[in-house]
Amino acid sequence: MSVFEQVRSIASDLLGTPANRISADSSPENIEAWDSVQHLNLVLALEEKFNLQLSPEEMDQMKNIGTIAKLIEGKLQATPS
Amino acid sequence: MPIVIQPYREEHEPAVAEFNRRLQEASADRDLVFSETAIPHWLPRRGEIPLWNEFFVAVEGSFVRGAYALKHEQIFIRENGLHSVACYHHALSEGIIDRKYASVGGLLVRDALARQPLLYVLGMGGYELPLPRMLKALEFSLIPVPFYFRVVHPRKFFLEMNALRNSRWRALLMDIAAATGTGWLAIKAAQTAATLRGRLADFAAEDVTEFSAWADDLWREAKDAVSMASVRDANTLRILYPAENSHLTRIRVSRNDAAIGWAIVGERRKDQTKFGGMRVGSIVDCWSSPANTLPVVRAATQALEKRGVDLIVSNQTHHAWCRAFEDSGFLKGPSTFIFAASKKLTGLLQPLEEDQKSLHVTRADGDGLPRNF
Repeated sequence: MSVFEQVRSIASDLLGTPANRISADSSPENIEAWDSVQHLNLVLALEEKFNLQLSPEEMDQMKNIGTIAKLIEGKLQATPS
Repeated sequence: MPIVIQPYREEHEPAVAEFNRRLQEASADRDLVFSETAIPHWLPRRGEIPLWNEFFVAVEGSFVRGAYALKHEQIFIRENGLHSVACYHHALSEGIIDRKYASVGGLLVRDALARQPLLYVLGMGGYELPLPRMLKALEFSLIPVPFYFRVVHPRKFFLEMNALRNSRWRALLMDIAAATGTGWLAIKAAQTAATLRGRLADFAAEDVTEFSAWADDLWREAKDAVSMASVRDANTLRILYPAENSHLTRIRVSRNDAAIGWAIVGERRKDQTKFGGMRVGSIVDCWSSPANTLPVVRAATQALEKRGVDLIVSNQTHHAWCRAFEDSGFLKGPSTFIFAASKKLTGLLQPLEEDQKSLHVTRADGDGLPRNF
């Protein structure tokens, strides 16, 4: 499963929105359930799933599912295996 | 443009005023305003005094998108001594009015945690609101702070207590209770029966302008009876309740001329939504050994009743204070006042589950003083 699909799956579970209705452009502006609390829950769930820490600057970049997936991909590639 | 959280400086003041204007335009909540001065009016930093407020702003280019305050203070933890902690308060995010900024609320609280891991939050208005839900996600321990009230003028209480008159039927029943006197009878009977439970030795009470060495003695004598309390020595009390603050009354309670406790009482700002036109007195803060809580509560209650308030309220966690309030005719009401301790602070408070009724938390902790008076 790609990083995008994993991020989408986590967002789907948290926001109670079917995965097939979540696209790269999905954001708090177009998903009703995505409020400030769910945004923080998403950050915490991603940190746990991918075993990484998101800085305040990175949290701020998380504008939609597409940018979140790219951010996680970048961090995973930068992490030595 | 990235959002950066930084200490609030004078140069941010116009952007904070703009931030407030946007929040006020989009919301009916008059409390959604942040300080428009970078230096706090309440508890500004003074030298090395460990009790002070600090403001932070979330800046995006020339815009402020969020802000919060930290009240730095020292707390005493039984068997763990003194620790510097901070209270996170007055957090505001543009996300309240613009979903594009949904990330700001989480950014603010994580920033505060990074600056002071021993963090607590107090108040919040109910578990269902965004901040307590975020704190739960961040593994804070959330504990309700019991709410007590004593009705001084029952008729006015039934007619004006808007927080309870929240349905047509309930309002009608309260109107009937006020008109027939049955409400008066029920409340006075319940309060009198409770008051008779508490056995009370003689005590004297006097208003004082300042706290001095006797308050230090009381702090030392009683602190081991609590599992946690904000420091309440004479120096701290003089900063929290300065002689020039005429809104609050400082009461020294004594027996045979020796101080046995103190209380701070005041009349709250009018709150039409909850209390209608009632005058609401508050027992803001109090301190004594567990054996002397009852005379302190009675002295504070009498002082407020003499002033002519219609209702007296207080929030207390410690079991000895809760008992003294109950034995002084106070009724326990539903509480939306929550104490939340960060994961690291919770670690120091262990065993918190067992000790939560020995925490000493009152309305004076957190940002209760400027918010309510």
